Amino acid sequence: MGGMDDLYREQILEHHRRPHNQAPLAAPSVSLEGRNPNCGDVINLQLQLDEAGVITDVAFSGRGCAISQAGTSLITDELRGKRIDEILALGSPFVMELLGVEVGPTRIHCALLGLETAQKAIASLSSK
Amino acid sequence: MGVWHNADGTLDPVKVRAEYPIFKTQPGGRPLHYLDSAATGQRPQRVVDAVSKFLFTANANPHRGAYTLAQMATDRYEAARARIAAYVDVPASELVMLGSATEALNLVARSWGKANLRRGDVVLVTEAEHHANLIPWQQITREMDADLEFIPVDDVTGEILWDRLDSLMKLKPKMIALGHVSNVLGSIAPLAQIAEAAHAVGALLCVDGCQAVANMPVSIPATGADFYAFSAHKMGGLYAGGGLWARADLLAEMAPIETGGDMIHSVRLRDADFTTGTQRFEAGTPDASGAVALAAACDLLDEFGRDKIHAHEALMIERVIRELPEVLPDARILGPRDASQRAGLVAFSSDLIHAHDLAEILDRRGVAIRAGFHCAQPLHEQLELSSSARVSVAPFTTHEDLDALFAGLRDARKVFEG
Repeated sequence: MGGMDDLYREQILEHHRRPHNQAPLAAPSVSLEGRNPNCGDVINLQLQLDEAGVITDVAFSGRGCAISQAGTSLITDELRGKRIDEILALGSPFVMELLGVEVGPTRIHCALLGLETAQKAIASLSSK
Repeated sequence: MGVWHNADGTLDPVKVRAEYPIFKTQPGGRPLHYLDSAATGQRPQRVVDAVSKFLFTANANPHRGAYTLAQMATDRYEAARARIAAYVDVPASELVMLGSATEALNLVARSWGKANLRRGDVVLVTEAEHHANLIPWQQITREMDADLEFIPVDDVTGEILWDRLDSLMKLKPKMIALGHVSNVLGSIAPLAQIAEAAHAVGALLCVDGCQAVANMPVSIPATGADFYAFSAHKMGGLYAGGGLWARADLLAEMAPIETGGDMIHSVRLRDADFTTGTQRFEAGTPDASGAVALAAACDLLDEFGRDKIHAHEALMIERVIRELPEVLPDARILGPRDASQRAGLVAFSSDLIHAHDLAEILDRRGVAIRAGFHCAQPLHEQLELSSSARVSVAPFTTHEDLDALFAGLRDARKVFEG
């Protein structure tokens, strides 16, 4: 049972029970739905950017497993004040550090849902 | 009565277990409690032995070659087809051997559908279908400008509302496609009744039998189906294998989708004549070893006795349905409460614990269950669920497996209730 205590530590469960950044943005620069097609995790992410390409506000709503929802809650806390290029440079080590645990291959797509959706949202913005 | 049974004739899962070498392993260092047979079965020793024996003593390309060994390979392959056909009570001449049930259902939709569907024709499926018996019909109805309509499910229990069938028959469907046993709800479809309703309005019935063939007696003629598909790996065969039975007159009219070697009568540079019968749909070198494996799996399942498998699995499912609310009070069981209306599986959801988290925590005790949509996303959307947890059982499932399941459920509740 040792590993379980690491994955479902209080910080992760707390973010799962009471996720941050839930208040919808009035006029987001971009909104995107992110999904894990096999397990049904879904988030709707909203980002507000200023003219310099810096994230000024962020919100999300979603349903899914504790890892996907806590992972998204944690990453949204980190996005404010970051530039587009900084966010695009983030990868799974950053999310693992936020979660405070190495997530195994069966759950990595849950953990990365928030970050990957943010990166896709930003990419869709710059391709417009 | 055989080596697999108790004195009273019931199936003894502990004796059965000895035939499945996977249980001698300890994945992750824990004894395995495999409750995911609806996804894929475990492989019996004798199935793998049969494959080895075939490959080491009779291996050559079937249907080709004039030498003794090639004839032996052909004989073994065709004997396997006959054995598998007998298992589902149909003539070997009507059983097409394919790579999967998915391939079989795609063949029906694309071949029969292309030749028979016209603009405005209706194909009827249930809202609970596995994607393999939904998407091929989405594709072909779109291509032919036909309509896809649905037998609804109850939004709360998920049970398929068969009483809507009468009014849906007013749509005069050309085809009704549905699962014999739902891979999420576990419910057994009343096929004879559905076939009668279908045939009364001139519709055909295409049945996805994947969750039925390993878990209960299945005689295809008794179902009234016109097409019936099943997969090998859920029966203990190898991964790439599936069967399609089609009514002889329908099979004779159907055009092959895939063409190539082993399905031709005569070939010229600009055209070709195809063989008749099942071989017309089996282009290329057939998976003879897979067929031999599946035939061995059929032998074993018949030794267990499919009525006895069904009775044993009903006992296991009945216990899950009975005890689950005690262990996880907010559990929402999908499908019928009565285990006798089910075959092999029960799925549930919980607002407290997401299925994916539950599967992860159960894994710490070696309990393997399925979490997610189980390839039935529209059904989950209909029930407003982002996923469900599915427990599926097999002839080797023991009460110890279920004890471990419930212990893991208690662990999970402790974690999430804090």
